[in-house]
Amino acid sequence: MAVDVKVVTYRDIFQYGAEKMGLHSEEYLRLSASIILDKGDMASLGIAEGGKVLLENELNRIVVNATASADKPHPGLAFMIKSPWSNQLEGDESCPAGASGFKGIQAQVSPSSEGITQMDEILQRLRA
Amino acid sequence: MTEFNYKTCTGCSLICEDILFPDAGSGSVSQARNLCRKGQAHYQALFSERTGPLVEGSEVSLDQAIERAAEILRNASAPVIYGWSNCTLEAQEVGLALAAKIGAFVDDPSSYCEGQLMERILSGKIPSCTLDDVRNFADTSIFWGSDPSSTQPRHLSRFSYFPRGEKRQKSYEEERTCIVVDVRESPTARLCPNTTYRVLPGEDLQFLEAILAVLEGKIPKFGDKKKMIELGSIIKKTEYGVIFPGPLMLVSLQDQMDRFEELLRRLNEITTFKVVPMTGQYNSRGYSQLLFDRTGRVKGVKFTASGEAAEAPSLVEAVKGADAILVLGSDPLLDLPLGLARSFAAAPIIAIDPRRSLTADVARVVIPSAISGLETGGTALRTDGVRVTFEPSMKTNQLADEQILTRIMEAI
Repeated sequence: MAVDVKVVTYRDIFQYGAEKMGLHSEEYLRLSASIILDKGDMASLGIAEGGKVLLENELNRIVVNATASADKPHPGLAFMIKSPWSNQLEGDESCPAGASGFKGIQAQVSPSSEGITQMDEILQRLRA
Repeated sequence: MTEFNYKTCTGCSLICEDILFPDAGSGSVSQARNLCRKGQAHYQALFSERTGPLVEGSEVSLDQAIERAAEILRNASAPVIYGWSNCTLEAQEVGLALAAKIGAFVDDPSSYCEGQLMERILSGKIPSCTLDDVRNFADTSIFWGSDPSSTQPRHLSRFSYFPRGEKRQKSYEEERTCIVVDVRESPTARLCPNTTYRVLPGEDLQFLEAILAVLEGKIPKFGDKKKMIELGSIIKKTEYGVIFPGPLMLVSLQDQMDRFEELLRRLNEITTFKVVPMTGQYNSRGYSQLLFDRTGRVKGVKFTASGEAAEAPSLVEAVKGADAILVLGSDPLLDLPLGLARSFAAAPIIAIDPRRSLTADVARVVIPSAISGLETGGTALRTDGVRVTFEPSMKTNQLADEQILTRIMEAI
């Protein structure tokens, strides 16, 4: 079971604080490797609060924690704090580099039993 | 007894000058007053993940790191200098002189988001004002795709919503209206649920056209018609309005900025409306202004071998073809999408960085620096273009960015 979502990125003051404490910190990982999904989408995927989901598109795949949105219903629309995790799914050709996340990243989301994608893995991908 | 002096925070582009900082020896950073959550984190960064000089991952002396950096840049045929926005104007000036000397392509992170808006503001096509004008005169603030509570946390309290200004003594209770246009319920949107307008990614042009329609007395074709008509009424009653565009709006309207100009023209036929950018890093505006004054452009510029500014390739093309990249005041591997970040990582990077970053982690050469604004003084332009000169909050033995750049240039 998978759901197509458009992931919109945003800035978060708490993640900024975690970044200043260290990019390899647990807090930075917790806030960055996370996606906010519509409650209905969570239910149709059978994902509980904090459950792991695989996010993938033609560019890459990442595993992050899912949180149910407290906002009005927004099926098919998901939110992530902008970070190296969201950047993994972001293309740099379709619109000005680094900006497509604000416009929406197309991806598929599905339940996952894999481990959360770690910063070291992201660094390896960047070096590849 | 702890004694305090006024210092300046460079945690965001508001560059708050009212930070009460304990005198050296009489108190600790944690006692600093008037810092927002972001500013507090910015100051705490003084004590974590500081860098040392490295070449190919091995510890070296500062002199050796600078010499190796100069060697890489001296031998480069397609160098790139990227970052800039967390540096003082003084460092940016030296950096641009270095770029002209080595014929480098230069760019900064703001160019993809704010570039088009900034170019129009600096060239006078879009009317702007200072944040002090906002505090004193504005009765309507529209945060369109921006969320100051998260990015410029004291924006609302110092300038745009809560303060009692010269002509706005009754402030937010009676005289100021805050309007948010966003795809989600942002922390700023929670302040004004009745004047929050939901716009999905890519719908900003439709929203803009709907405003133009209601101003003409027509029924809008987009959104909740009643709410859109209410928005038109608020605008018509406005004496001094300000739009604060954020990345969501700027990316959405990137090919339709002419329509945004048209909206401003129409609004100013009715009343007074200005636009103030919401730049990210503390001196993004300074870099844009400096580059604009020097070259007439605010986005990527390529200097020729003779030091003249020429037509530039895109950042993606420039980085793919780069044989040396000097990064300062930024962490592109943290911020940029995978493909472009990989292109950065594939090139020999020289990172001038006070703290460990993803870019410093993959750099050939790491040169530690003082934290700009906290450990070094200088000058910067606030997000509204106001010039701010500041003294360092703390003493350091680390070199300032402009000192490092000068030494690299001398070595070349």
